[in-house]
Amino acid sequence: MKDLRDTLIIARRELLERVMSKWFAVMTLIGPIGMIAMIVIPAAIARSSTEGTKVEILDPGGALTEPLLAGLGAERWRVTVAAPGATDATEEEKIRRGAINGYLSIAPDALAGGPIVYRGDNASSQAVTGVLRTRVAKAVLDRRMAQANLTPEQLAILGKEVRFSTEHTTGEKAATSGAGAFLVAYFLGFILYMVITVYGIGVMRSVVQEKSSRVMELMVAVVKPRSLMAGKILGVGAAGLLQIGVWLGIGAILLEYRDQVLGAFGISGGGKALPPLAPSEIAVILAFFVGGYFFYSAMYAALGAMVSSEQETQQVQLPVTMLLVIGLLCQQMVSNDPRGSTAALMTMLPCWSPILMPMRYVLGGATLGDAALSLAILTVSTAIVVRAAAKIYRVGVLLYGKRPTARELIRWLRY
Amino acid sequence: MTAAVPALVVRGISKQFGSHRAVEDVSFTVPRGCVYGILGPNGAGKSTTLRMINDIIAPDAGAIEIMDGIPPGPRAAAQIGYLPEERGLYPKERVLEMIALMGELRGLSRAEARRRAGAWLERLGLEQWAKNRVGELSKGMQQKVQFATALIHEPALVILDEPWSGLDPINAEVLREVVDEIRASGRTVLFSTHQMEQAEKVCDAVCIIARGKKVLDGRLLELKRSWGADGRIALGFGDEAARARAEAVLADAALVADRLPARAGDVADCEVTLAAGVAPQQLLAGLVAAEVWLRRFEVVVPTLHQIFVERVGDSAAVAERRPEGEPGKDQGKEAAS
Repeated sequence: MKDLRDTLIIARRELLERVMSKWFAVMTLIGPIGMIAMIVIPAAIARSSTEGTKVEILDPGGALTEPLLAGLGAERWRVTVAAPGATDATEEEKIRRGAINGYLSIAPDALAGGPIVYRGDNASSQAVTGVLRTRVAKAVLDRRMAQANLTPEQLAILGKEVRFSTEHTTGEKAATSGAGAFLVAYFLGFILYMVITVYGIGVMRSVVQEKSSRVMELMVAVVKPRSLMAGKILGVGAAGLLQIGVWLGIGAILLEYRDQVLGAFGISGGGKALPPLAPSEIAVILAFFVGGYFFYSAMYAALGAMVSSEQETQQVQLPVTMLLVIGLLCQQMVSNDPRGSTAALMTMLPCWSPILMPMRYVLGGATLGDAALSLAILTVSTAIVVRAAAKIYRVGVLLYGKRPTARELIRWLRY
Repeated sequence: MTAAVPALVVRGISKQFGSHRAVEDVSFTVPRGCVYGILGPNGAGKSTTLRMINDIIAPDAGAIEIMDGIPPGPRAAAQIGYLPEERGLYPKERVLEMIALMGELRGLSRAEARRRAGAWLERLGLEQWAKNRVGELSKGMQQKVQFATALIHEPALVILDEPWSGLDPINAEVLREVVDEIRASGRTVLFSTHQMEQAEKVCDAVCIIARGKKVLDGRLLELKRSWGADGRIALGFGDEAARARAEAVLADAALVADRLPARAGDVADCEVTLAAGVAPQQLLAGLVAAEVWLRRFEVVVPTLHQIFVERVGDSAAVAERRPEGEPGKDQGKEAAS
């Protein structure tokens, strides 16, 4: 009872110390500004990047000039036809002078399979290439079909769009858009990684601070190290979750009113927002987010207990960061085969389950029971790590300025 | 002053760090309501002893009983107020909150802890700093805050590790007053120090340790009395003629066993040790009969420092070097006395 009370008192102190600081308020406010930028900038780039592209058409055969002028003109490109007698050299000279961005070099036998090449200073742009690919392909197809003397009805049938898409299902739930669910889980994995590296290090700092401010002997005499560690992880963790909560809340509102936000910046049309998630999926994602967050915070606390100064923290955190990165790399593997045995194993291991289990669950590779078991393993592991951190801390109290050897560490854990 | 059950009983505790014996078979008893000093040079094992009492480290051997026979641990901790030698505070915490935090962790309710923290700040003259951050306070002010963190829950046993180290004279006086108050309220204070002068001013009883072993312990008055009972007399003569006349008396082996030169800085001309069974009056009578003009005749009561040096030896009074990487004090930081 006293232990729990102490834990909560320590947690409250850590939470208040952080929340009351100026930086916390500043960062909490800067977050949404970044989010607005993340919505507006890509949309703005997508809208405006290819407009006004200056292109010349070098088409000695002349078969494709007309449809390309019309097609690219519809993209608001500034399309001109190269002067008679123009060569690659004269066109390249124009690119050098900046008169045009690039030119389409169309072989006379293009309709029969000859090459069509675009050369320009913006050929590396995905957007430009995408527009060109679509428009050139359509122009060629239209011409070929016209040459085949088809009736307009036949042309209309042949020209119909092929509508292909994928839907993810394991036969248990209604099929969903696989891409959408994957993206949500994928990005949450990344967000968890970022949040852990930013706030988990906060926990480590907080533990190291006990040593650098020499307050630890005072604390060890009053509270059990386990209460102290658990309190720190909870308190610093809660500060982080509070900030992320504010951000997610604002983020959700921004996504809901995405069109209005974009409209305020003079950009219209935004495309789809978040794909819909079932309540159980949201619950699993949140549970593993919080669970993973506290598990890694405990790991960082243990690291903090091992070192005696801020400088040393830089080095010891590498192994934990590596664990996280391995988890991120394995996301692809889980999405490729969510029901495979490797995915099943990795989503049970506490160091990777926080990143991989939400994805596996959303993709239907795991039942709610699997998720619950994995969460239980994660929770127990967190408690074990907290205990270990407390033991290391407890004995480390008496050691300043010396990093423990592996043998000492093992001895401390048995202390 | 001494109640039936002592505040603290330490029985034969030992602690070894690697090959270094930090504490070896140390025993002492702290009666209730007294101020007890553990004295010894740096590295003698004082802090290790106090840490074992506070359950920060466990002794390899021996037993410790706190208040009503409670072993070190959470139950005992509730009765103890501990000011460690390594005393830091959370630099970003508000002064009042810092003190209240320690009160809460010692079991006080939040409201009560804050009320008492406020009272302590007033008592220490820091009330206008209550809302400042600890890191903004001067070192002296932080030391006062540290006393308050150790005392806020009114512990029955107050343990202070080198409380005077680094204190300026004004704060040293504040601390002495606080210690006197605790004694006046019937509670017990146990502290360690290597500063004999401070210990002499406040201690009722002492335990002197050196190189991890107990050298002697007991009530200060009795220690001084037994040391004084050796019959040491300080003499001062009115003039050279008086000194010459005294020579004959002091040369009498039946009266005087030993003659010592006067201590540096003392106003006495010489000190003598009386022969066994001789009372000071007999020497005085002899000197008066020889018509020696005496400026001073004093039965010497030794200072704690003298007892210490005599019993421990000058060499042990010097700080002992600690082996490299040994658990213990912060390297390089040892407050000047």
